[in-house]
Amino acid sequence: MRVKAYLLFLAICVSALLVSCNRAGGPPARRLLIYTPHGQDLLRDFIARYKAIHSEVEVQFLDMGSREILERVRAERNRPQADLWWGAAHTTFQTAADENLLAPYRPTWADSVPKSSRDTQDRWFGTYQTPEVIVYNSDAVKPEDAPKDWDDVLDPKWRNKILIRNPNPSDSMRAIFGAMIWRFYKDTGSPDQGYDWLRRLDANVHEYTADGTLLMQKLVRREGVVSLWNLPDVWIYKEQKGFPIGYVFATSGTPVITDGIAIVRGGANEEEAKRFYEFVTTPDNLTLAAKKYYRIPVRTDLDRSQLPPWMNERVNEMPLDWDLLRKQSSDWLRYWDTEIRGRSKK
Amino acid sequence: MYELPTSQFPSPRSRFSPSPRLLPWLIVGVVLLYGVLYPNLHVVIASLQSDAGWSLANYRQVLSQSIVLESIFASVGVSILTVLFCAAVGVPLAFLFERYAFPARRLFATLAALPLVLPPLVGTIAFIFLFGESGILARFAQSIFGLENSPWSLRGWPALLFFHTYTMYPFFYMLTGAGLRRIDASLAEAAQSLGAGRLRVLARVVLPQLTPSLIAAALLTFMTSMASFSAPLLFGGSVRVLTLEIYTARQRGDAGVAVTETVILALISLSALVVFQRYEGTRKFAASALKGATKKRQAITGGRARALAIAGGVIFSLILVLPVATLVLVSFASEGQWTVQTLPPSYTVANYAKIFSDPRASEVFLNSLSMSAIAAGAALVWSFCVAAVMARKGGRNWKRVLSWLILVPWALPGTVVAVSIAEAYGQTSPLLGSFILVGTFWILPVVYFLRFMPLVVRALQASMEQLDAALEEAASSLGARWWRRLTRVTLPLVWPGAVAGTLLAFVIALGEYVASVLIFVPNNRPVSIAIASELREFNLGTAAAYGVVLMLIIGIIMMVATRLERSRA
Repeated sequence: MRVKAYLLFLAICVSALLVSCNRAGGPPARRLLIYTPHGQDLLRDFIARYKAIHSEVEVQFLDMGSREILERVRAERNRPQADLWWGAAHTTFQTAADENLLAPYRPTWADSVPKSSRDTQDRWFGTYQTPEVIVYNSDAVKPEDAPKDWDDVLDPKWRNKILIRNPNPSDSMRAIFGAMIWRFYKDTGSPDQGYDWLRRLDANVHEYTADGTLLMQKLVRREGVVSLWNLPDVWIYKEQKGFPIGYVFATSGTPVITDGIAIVRGGANEEEAKRFYEFVTTPDNLTLAAKKYYRIPVRTDLDRSQLPPWMNERVNEMPLDWDLLRKQSSDWLRYWDTEIRGRSKK
Repeated sequence: MYELPTSQFPSPRSRFSPSPRLLPWLIVGVVLLYGVLYPNLHVVIASLQSDAGWSLANYRQVLSQSIVLESIFASVGVSILTVLFCAAVGVPLAFLFERYAFPARRLFATLAALPLVLPPLVGTIAFIFLFGESGILARFAQSIFGLENSPWSLRGWPALLFFHTYTMYPFFYMLTGAGLRRIDASLAEAAQSLGAGRLRVLARVVLPQLTPSLIAAALLTFMTSMASFSAPLLFGGSVRVLTLEIYTARQRGDAGVAVTETVILALISLSALVVFQRYEGTRKFAASALKGATKKRQAITGGRARALAIAGGVIFSLILVLPVATLVLVSFASEGQWTVQTLPPSYTVANYAKIFSDPRASEVFLNSLSMSAIAAGAALVWSFCVAAVMARKGGRNWKRVLSWLILVPWALPGTVVAVSIAEAYGQTSPLLGSFILVGTFWILPVVYFLRFMPLVVRALQASMEQLDAALEEAASSLGARWWRRLTRVTLPLVWPGAVAGTLLAFVIALGEYVASVLIFVPNNRPVSIAIASELREFNLGTAAAYGVVLMLIIGIIMMVATRLERSRA
C-alpha cells in the first residue's frame, strides 16, 4: 500500500510538471501584457475586439487592484513584465511617474482631454472619470431625507448609521477625505479644521469596512444606511445587481477622480502597447465602455447624446489641488489613523 | 502496528547505497542561501537605511510611536491567546477522536479539519454573513426575540479570537492527532498498573510524550497569528495589530516604516522559536522503543457518556459546518435580493453556470492544484533533507541557526516574501549566481514552497523527536544500510507526521493570495486571484461559487489521502 501512495504522489508530481510544460509553447510574433483592475468582462470584450483587427497578437492581462499593480510594477522595475497599465487613479499614476516607472506617450487625442486629466510630461492620460457621491439605502431612507451635502452627513441623526470604506487602500475614499480637509486647508493653510470634520464624521460612523464589496453588502443589509462612494460603482450595483441604493451629488461640489492609462517603462512590447492604448480610447470604444461597463469617458469630443443619461447630469466639480493632496494625504491619513479613527464616540 | 521488517532478502539497492552524507547538506545550504538569506537580506538592509545612509533612524522613529508599541502588544497578546484557545479546542478533540470510539466518529473526525478548507477571501465573508451583525444568526435571534437591533457585533477582541481559533486550531488538532498515533500505549499501561490515576497518567506520561507535537503546533499557531492580516482587517474593529500597521504604512507610501515594522514582526515571531526551543530541550521524551502497539480506541459504551460524546460532536460539527454552509448559501443566493431577511429569499444556479461554462475557470483550478502539489512535494523531500542534517551529532548552535532560518519565510508576511523574491530574481547577476524567476511559471511554486515548507519541517521534526534513536542503532547493528534504515525504520514511524504537514502545506498553498497577487503570470493564474477578481467586480456569488468548488476539490483530496493513510497503517 505504501508503494501505491508513493506512486500516487509521483503521478501527481509528473502530471503537474506536464501541465506546466504544456503551457510553455512557442512564443508568437507579437505579444502584449496588460496590468489592469478593470475586470475580466471588460478586458475580454476589448481584447476580442482588438484581436478581430490584429488577429496575430497574443494579448494577455493580469487582473489586480490598482494599488497592487503599483507594488508589482515597483517590485519588477529591474525586469518589467507589463507593457501597458490600464486603470488606476491619476494620483497613483503620478506616484508611479515620479518613481520613473512609466514611459511617456502622447496619444492622438491628447488635446481633447482637460489639462487636469493628463500628466504634463505625457506619462499618463485620463480615460474615465470617477465622481464621488453620497450613497444611501433607498429602502431605509427616503430620497428627501437623505443628506444633501457633505456637512449633512455629520448630523447627529445619522449616529452609528454611516458606513465608510477604510480609506487607506482606497483611491475613492482618499480623495473624499482629502477633499474634506482641502475645503478648510485652502483658506487656513492648516488641516486642523478638516481633522475636526473627520472627527465629527467618526462619531457617526458605525464601521470602517475593509473593502467596497463589503461596504455595499453591509449598506443594503442595513448595518448602516448612508455612505460615501463613487458613482460608477453605485450604478453597477443599482442597475446590474438591483441593489436598493440611491445617490446624491453634494451641493457644495463633487471631487472627481480621473482614471488613467500608461505605458510601463522598459516593457518589451511598447509598440503593441501604444496600439492597444489608442484602440481602447477611440470614441466608439469609450462610448461602448460607458454603455456596457458604466465608465464615464474623459474625452470631451464625444457625442454625449450616445452616453447613458445619468452621465450627462451636471456635475459641480470641486476644484482640488491634487498634487498637494497627493503629497499631504499620507500625513493626513496617518493623523486620522492614530488620532481620530474610532476615538470620537462620546 | 509498526513491525520491524521480517524479510530475509536484502533488497539489491541497499548493497551499493551511495554515501548520503553530503547531499542533504548541499541541498539545505543551497536552498537557504538562495531562498531565504539572499532575498531577505535586502529587507534587513532597507530597514537600516535612511536619508543619511546607514542608521537606526527607522527603528528609533517606529519604536517611539505609541501606536506602534500598542500594536506590538496587541499582536503578541492576540497571538498568545490564540495559541491557548487553539490548544484548548484542538488537543481535547484530537484525544476524543483518536482515543475513543463512538458512532459517527469518522465523520466528526473528518469534519474537524474543515476550517482548513475554508477558501481564502470568501471564507471570511461567509463568516461575516453567518456571525456578523446582519448575519444569519443575528437575524435569527432578532426574529425570535423581537429585537430592533442586532444583539451583537462581530468586532474587536472576541471576534478576532473567535475567528483565529476557528481557523488555526487544526494545527493543534492535526499535529496532536499524528502524535497520538505514534505514542506507545505500554508506558501508560505500565503507569496505570503501578496505580497512577487517569489524570496522573495523562499529565505525567501521555502529555510529555506529546510535547514535540504540542510545541510544533504552538509555534505554528503563534507565528500564523502574528502574521494574520485579513482577520484583524475584517473583525479587528479598533484592535490595532502590527500587520495592519505595516499595511497602512505601505498604503501611505512610508516604505521605510513598513519595512522596519516587518523586521520587528519577524524578530518577535522568531524569538518565539527560541523560547519554545529552550522548553523543548528540558522535556524531551522519546516514545520509548515502541515495543507495544499504539493504544486501541476505547469504545464509549456507557449510555450517558456515549450520548454526551455524540451531542458534543454534533454541536461542535455544527459550528464548524455552518460557515461552509453559509458559503454554499451565498453561492446560490440571487444577487441584490438578500437584504434584511434571515435567509436568502430567492436562489439561482447562475454562478455555477458561469464557472462551468468558462474554460478559463478550470484552468485556474488546474494551475493552483499543480503548483501546490509541486510546492508541497518539494517541501516533503526538503523536510527529510533538513531532518537528515539535524540528525547529525554536534553543531548545536549551527542547528539552532538552521531551524531559525527555515522559519523566516513563515514569520514574514506573504507580501514581503513575494516582493523580496521578485526583487532578488528580477535580474541576472552572475556574480551572485542569481537567475530569473520573475515572469515565469516557476516563481509561484517557489514562493509557495518557501512560505509553507516550515510547516512540513516542523511537523516532521516533531515526529523525529518522538523517535527513539535506539531503533536506528539496532537496525544499524543488524547491518542495515542507511537507505534500508530510512525506508524500513525511520520512515514508517515519522510518516504520519510528515503526511499531516504536507497536506497542511498543500491545502494552505491552494488558497494563497497575498503573495500570489504580486508575482503571478498569465499561465499560472491561481484560483485565489480568480476569487479576488470576482470580488472586485462585485460578483460575490460567483466568488463564493469558486470557493465552494475549491472546497469540494480539497475535500476529495483529503478523503483520498486519509483513506490511503488508513489502508497503509
